[in-house]
This record gives sequence, structure tokens and C-alpha cells, in this order.
Amino acid sequence: MRIKPRSTQNQGIPTASMADIAFLLIIFFMVTISFEVDKTTVTLPKTDLRFEIPKKAAYISVTESGQIRVSSGEEISVPVPGPEEVLSFAAGVVAADPSKPFVLKADKNVPYRYVDRVIDALKQAKAEVIYLLSEQETVDAPAT
Amino acid sequence: MKLKKDHADPEIPTSSMADIAFLLIIYFMVTTTFAATRGLDFSLPQEDKEQPLVEKEEAVLIEIQPGGVLMVDQKRMEIGDILEYLKPKLERNAMKPVIIRPLEATEYGYMVAVFDEIRQAKDKIGIEVKNVSIPTQREIEMFWY
Repeated sequence: MRIKPRSTQNQGIPTASMADIAFLLIIFFMVTISFEVDKTTVTLPKTDLRFEIPKKAAYISVTESGQIRVSSGEEISVPVPGPEEVLSFAAGVVAADPSKPFVLKADKNVPYRYVDRVIDALKQAKAEVIYLLSEQETVDAPAT
Repeated sequence: MKLKKDHADPEIPTSSMADIAFLLIIYFMVTTTFAATRGLDFSLPQEDKEQPLVEKEEAVLIEIQPGGVLMVDQKRMEIGDILEYLKPKLERNAMKPVIIRPLEATEYGYMVAVFDEIRQAKDKIGIEVKNVSIPTQREIEMFWY
């Protein structure tokens, strides 16, 4: 009797679904990607309470040495020489959108006088709300 | 003589699809930054709305000195004791003004820590501190002196 040869199994790894998985990953990254308007490196203060910052908020960053950068939320931040320029920047932003929120991204070690002048400029520009950007300390509070 | 017909493969070549997809994944992984998008909100007073002028004598004044040294109504205090100190005052007057005043050389992080603590009053002592102000140096010079 002739014995049939054993059925040979395909040794290759099935790669047909590889592209599908890859495209799913691409979609995930495309959806979650957020282009930061301000890439200044600062050590943020830590807080227990943290509320979600609205999208397209204007950014003002203050580094440990007191250097200030501003962005209206639409484009990459630009350095400004001092708080006087923050006032003219903020006045322009508020004139375009009076309810525009501002985000203050300041280093936790910066002397308060630098932050004071920025807050003062925002008050004079009649900004409505400032978000003090912070890192999580323990648990997040539900956004209001 | 019979000519052989050249049969072109009618399928779209997809063998390089995975390579392209993985290149795109690598691009997104490298460029993605998980931005910090949370913080403490701080509403600024609007001049068109009626703002009562706060006398510093009737308010609780929290002075923050460099290094995080806290002086609450001229008394040295730890950050964890502020709310217990405020509780009886807020029970008598829910609109008791609280003024946070960091000195010029104080590190910004200490001001945020105190503000964060006061904002948690409702959770910690059951009463909300409704009237918190952080006057700027210009305002202090204009209204206090």
C-alpha cells in the first residue's frame, strides 16, 4: 500500500492582518496627537485640584529665569522681552475673543515677581480666567 | 508562429503597505507629546461688575515668604493648618475675604500650593472659600497705601 505523503503545513507567519493592525495604530496616534503651541521646558507646580483646560487657550510661559513666551493658541509661542509686551499681546487676544482663557505655564521655582507682572498684565487686559498649569499630585478632580 | 500573451497581474501590490504603515506609526510615536492640559482655574475680577473693596484689616491675609514660610494674620502657620484656622471665620461670615500675598522673591510653586489648599476647602472643612483674591503688586500699591 502506498502511504500518502504527510500534508505539509505552511511555515510562514501569517502577515495578512499586519497592515490592518498598523493602520489601526496610525488612526489611534492621529486622533490622540496634540500639537503643543508652547514647548518651553518648565518644572510645573503640583496640585491636587486640576481642571481640564479648554482647547485653543492662549499660553503664557515663564521659565525659571523669568523668560516669557506667548501664544494665542493658534500658533507656536514666541518670546517677548517683558511684561509690557504681555499686556499688548493679551489686549489683542481679548479684543479678538473676550472670553478667551489664558494658561499660565510657569516654573514652580520662578520668583513670584515675574508671575505677578504677568497676572497684572492679564488683569489690565481684562482677561476673564487664567488656568495655572500644574501637574498631578494625587487624584484628579472632576472637571467643572 | 504563436505569440505568447503577456498576462499582467491584475491585483494591486500591497506587500509594501505594512512598511509604509509602520513608518507612519514611528513618525507619530516620535512626534506625539502627551501635553499637560490641566490646571487650577483662577477667575479674574471684571471691572464692569460690582467689586466690593476689601479692607485688609477685615480680610484674612496669607503672606507667603520665600521658602514657603506662611504668615497668616501675622502668625506663623503650616499649610495644613490654614483651613482649620479659616473654618470658624467662614462659619461666621461665608463671604470672608481671603487675600493671598506672595512676596516678590517667593517661589511661584508655594503660591500655587496655598491656592490649591484653599480651593479644597469644601472637601476638607465643608465650607467653600468664596472670596479669594491674589492682588498684584500694582494693586497693592494703588489700594493699600
